[in-house]
Amino acid sequence: MRSTLRRGRAWPLRGFGPALPALVFLFVFMVAPLAVLFLRSVTEPTLGLGNYAELLGDATYGRVLFNTFTVATVVTVVTLALGYPVAWLLVILPSRVARWLFAIILLSMWTNLLARTYGWMVLLQRTGVINRTLMDLGLISEPLPLVNNLAGVTIGMTYIMLPFIILPLHATLSAIDPAIMQAASIAGARPRQIFFRVLLPLSLPGIGAGCLMVFVMALGYYVTPALLGGASTTMLAELIAQQVQSLLNWGLGSAAAFILLTVTLILYAIYVRAIGLGRPQ
Amino acid sequence: MLLSLNRMGPGRYALYSIGVLVALFLLFPILFIALLSFGSSQWLQFPPPGWTLKWYRDFFDDPRWIAAILTSLKVGLCVMALSIALGLPAAFALVRGSFPGRVALRAFFTSPMIVPIVILAIALYAVFLRLGLNGTFIGFVAAHLILALPFSIICIVNALEGFDEAIEKAAIVCGASKLEAICRITLPSIRLGIFAGALFSFLISWDEVVLGIFMASPSLQTLPVKMWTTLRQDLSPVIAAASTLLIVVTMAVMALAAFIRRRSEP
Repeated sequence: MRSTLRRGRAWPLRGFGPALPALVFLFVFMVAPLAVLFLRSVTEPTLGLGNYAELLGDATYGRVLFNTFTVATVVTVVTLALGYPVAWLLVILPSRVARWLFAIILLSMWTNLLARTYGWMVLLQRTGVINRTLMDLGLISEPLPLVNNLAGVTIGMTYIMLPFIILPLHATLSAIDPAIMQAASIAGARPRQIFFRVLLPLSLPGIGAGCLMVFVMALGYYVTPALLGGASTTMLAELIAQQVQSLLNWGLGSAAAFILLTVTLILYAIYVRAIGLGRPQ
Repeated sequence: MLLSLNRMGPGRYALYSIGVLVALFLLFPILFIALLSFGSSQWLQFPPPGWTLKWYRDFFDDPRWIAAILTSLKVGLCVMALSIALGLPAAFALVRGSFPGRVALRAFFTSPMIVPIVILAIALYAVFLRLGLNGTFIGFVAAHLILALPFSIICIVNALEGFDEAIEKAAIVCGASKLEAICRITLPSIRLGIFAGALFSFLISWDEVVLGIFMASPSLQTLPVKMWTTLRQDLSPVIAAASTLLIVVTMAVMALAAFIRRRSEP
């Protein structure tokens, strides 16, 4: 017994074996295909960085990048503005009420993506409930163009991303010791001061984590922009799919994919740097 | 102070109203689809002129929708089993192993959560086209497994980190073999983590659409892919019926998870 233990300790890869099947699987089905894709981006149609130059230099593709970053930014800001109060409520509401609010958030998060997007397609269309109600109320005379444009994409994406900002914010806010707020109050700070100088700075890690997560997810989102967006509002993920699927332009499509992947990985590295890998306490 | 409601002053009404609005915003499309699926209007008029089960009948009478459900179920169950089969040993290696690069390996195992799915989708599409795996059952399972694996690994790692290895060692000291100790002491203790991982893996596969869109052949489609292709043509109320069924499945799985969690709490 003792000798096997000692021999085991000398072996530098002790305990590595069981990870092997999963590792091999991910190498074969994720790393290798991505590597092949990268090769195509620099070899098709000719060897070199031509595809990347075309993507970054052409005005049409510039428009796509602009759309993508605009939508991702707007969605991040709106989800933060709506999500922060909700996360805060989840901490301070009596637990009976908070549990219901939680259930609603989780239900929306786990409901099939297409089901939710379908709901918005129906709600936002020209003859949809929202336009009808607004017209019946006399607020507008013409139906608002809410779908097949960036407005539709932004509404749909905000809906989908909200839970992803509420949950990390809730984790941060619920870890803050209420005594700190009490101390600030006793020291004579007014509620507004306490919020801006104590609570908000203390919740910055959660804000950062949530915003980065939403921003990164929004950058690469495909389904919602494809269904709620229009022909003139193509986003990066759609561009990639179009190039590959309809135009069979693998070189350009792969290059666009790698631009997206690079931006994503850089943002993720910032996230890991700032927050850590999320080791459970 | 700011973390207690009754001492917050008038600001709390602003908080309340945002909370109610967001809750309604989150619930609205879900309730709306459910109501619409029983409405008699082909053009999705709301409020519906009458109530009907026609769309559900259309759904269940169409063999293509049934085939799609069965495909989704089969793929989901396979993904669930494989995700645990690969994830459980990997989690043991991450928690118990003492090899260099353990942290890096952990990051690598969660990386499928970070890579935008559309990139993974076209990368797999290209390779599967060459290998003849496009639109096959194995292709679907392999693709979904990439996305499911991080979830089972994370769930099991968390459970395993909360388990005191000394208990397993005690069993070995008492005469159990290593395998016996793991199967009869450790695995039962971390079973909630395994259940959670299995549940997540199934849901990931059940809901997955982007990988499916690229791979699907007309003969083999999962439910979300069938919904996608139908949605691309028109906003038929049959999709409302399909969506409502999916929502019911989600609620059932959530209730199951809550039930398991409640039972585990003393």
